[in-house]
Order: sequence, then structure tokens, then C-alpha cells
Amino acid sequence: MAVRHLEAEVRQERGVVVLDLRGEINDFAQEALDAAYAEAESNDPEVILLNFEEIDYINSTGIALIVGLLAKARISKRRLVAYGLSDHYVEVFNITRLSDFMSVFPDEERAISQTSVS
Amino acid sequence: MTDPKPARTDANLRRTLAEFSVPSEPGNERQAMELVASAIKDMGLTQQRLERFKTAVAEATLNAMEHGNHYRAELPVLIEVSASDTQLSVKITDEGSGPPAFHAETPDLEAKLKGMQAPRGWGLFLIKNMVDDMEVTGDEHHHTVELILHLDGQAEGSA
Repeated sequence: MAVRHLEAEVRQERGVVVLDLRGEINDFAQEALDAAYAEAESNDPEVILLNFEEIDYINSTGIALIVGLLAKARISKRRLVAYGLSDHYVEVFNITRLSDFMSVFPDEERAISQTSVS
Repeated sequence: MTDPKPARTDANLRRTLAEFSVPSEPGNERQAMELVASAIKDMGLTQQRLERFKTAVAEATLNAMEHGNHYRAELPVLIEVSASDTQLSVKITDEGSGPPAFHAETPDLEAKLKGMQAPRGWGLFLIKNMVDDMEVTGDEHHHTVELILHLDGQAEGSA
């Protein structure tokens, strides 16, 4: 099975910045993730949404990379919001307590509508 | 990767479902995970338990490749999948010496966000939360991590 390297793209959606993530969040993902996050931060948004709908694998290194994004967001006083995680990775986010620091929604519609951005 | 061997049954009714190895190269933990999932597909695990077990297998393989074999591709990680009527087991063996290397510190997300702990160090924590039991053994030539799921219907999350 070939490793699916992470692809990450940034888009604006109804006043929020969305990072669309595709592939695997693993040892190879840091460069793409950091570059996309830097692009997402460039307009100084209050909230950044992480779209996990097309992520099919996150390992412990990937968890560490997400922790790194969360640390950056806290320093910049930004909110990170996640949506589109599979049931299993929602459980992983709960076990690791990532979901205590990052709201988790099932889909983009609810993530945007329930994330108050003035 | 070596080809999976066919299932066999030993005298104490513990059936070997698969034996294979993967080279110690980044990313191969996912291959190991999928091969184990294929070997246990008829065990009747709920989707939740299957996904948990797959994550435990991936993390134990990742640890074996990284800390046991130091990502030397010529050093394989050996994986043996077996089952009895009451237990599903996966043994993951690397060629490291000394005590098996896991981050001993319990991950604390608040501390990690404050920079008081390294962002990494989630592997053992995830494994322990995903299986019913885990046994770690080792000698001067090998480390083996055994991941165990109980099949008696009493374990958390079992159907």
C-alpha cells in the first residue's frame, strides 16, 4: 500500500478560512500542513476550520502535528475547529483531549453555522 | 514485505492467522495495519473494536520501526496474528536491544500546548487505550509487543 501524502488547500467559505486536508496525516505531512496553515493565517482570521473529510489515516506523529497547529493557534489567539472526522478519529480526539481544545463538528455546514464569527 | 503464511493451528487450539514482515521504512505501519485487518476480517469484531485494534497495530509497528530498528530498511518488523476462542493476539517484534523504547511520560495536552512537553509521545498512550491488554518483552536481540483483545464478550466496547 503506497503512502498517500498529505495535500492541503486553503479556501474562504462564508467568512471563515477552511483548510481542506486530503490523504494521511503522518510523518510526511509536516511540510504541507505547516505551509497550508501559514497561508490560512495570512489574513489573520479569528477561526480556522480543519476539514478532515478526506483524511483516512492519522498516526501518533500526525496527532503531534495537530497539537503543533493548536499551539500556534493559541499563541495567535485563534480558534481551530475540526469537522469531518470519522467516528474512530473523533474517539482519538476525545482520548487525547484534542476535542477539549478544538470544537469538533460532523460537517462543514454545522461547523460554520455554530462557529460564531463576527 | 514477506508474503503472509497460511493459517495453521497448534496443539493448544491457538490458530495462527498470519505471519509476515515489513521493512522498517516510514509509512509501512499502515501496510502492517491493513494486512492484520485482512487476517482478522472474519473474527466478528465490531467496527469500533476493529478500528481501535488497527490503530494499536499501526502504533506498535511504528514504534518498532522507529525506536527498535531505527528505520533501517534491512531490519524487518515481524508480525504474527493468532487467535484462540477467547483471545485475539498480534505480536510485533523488532531487532532492538535493551528495554523496549516507548515514551514513558504520560502525554498531557495542556503541557504540550504550553511547551512543557514535546508534541510527540502519543504512541504508547494510544495503544493502551485501544486494546484490552498489552505485554512487552525483550532480550538483547529483540523486542516484542503483544496486543491482545479478549473475545469473551466482556471487554469494553465488544458487541
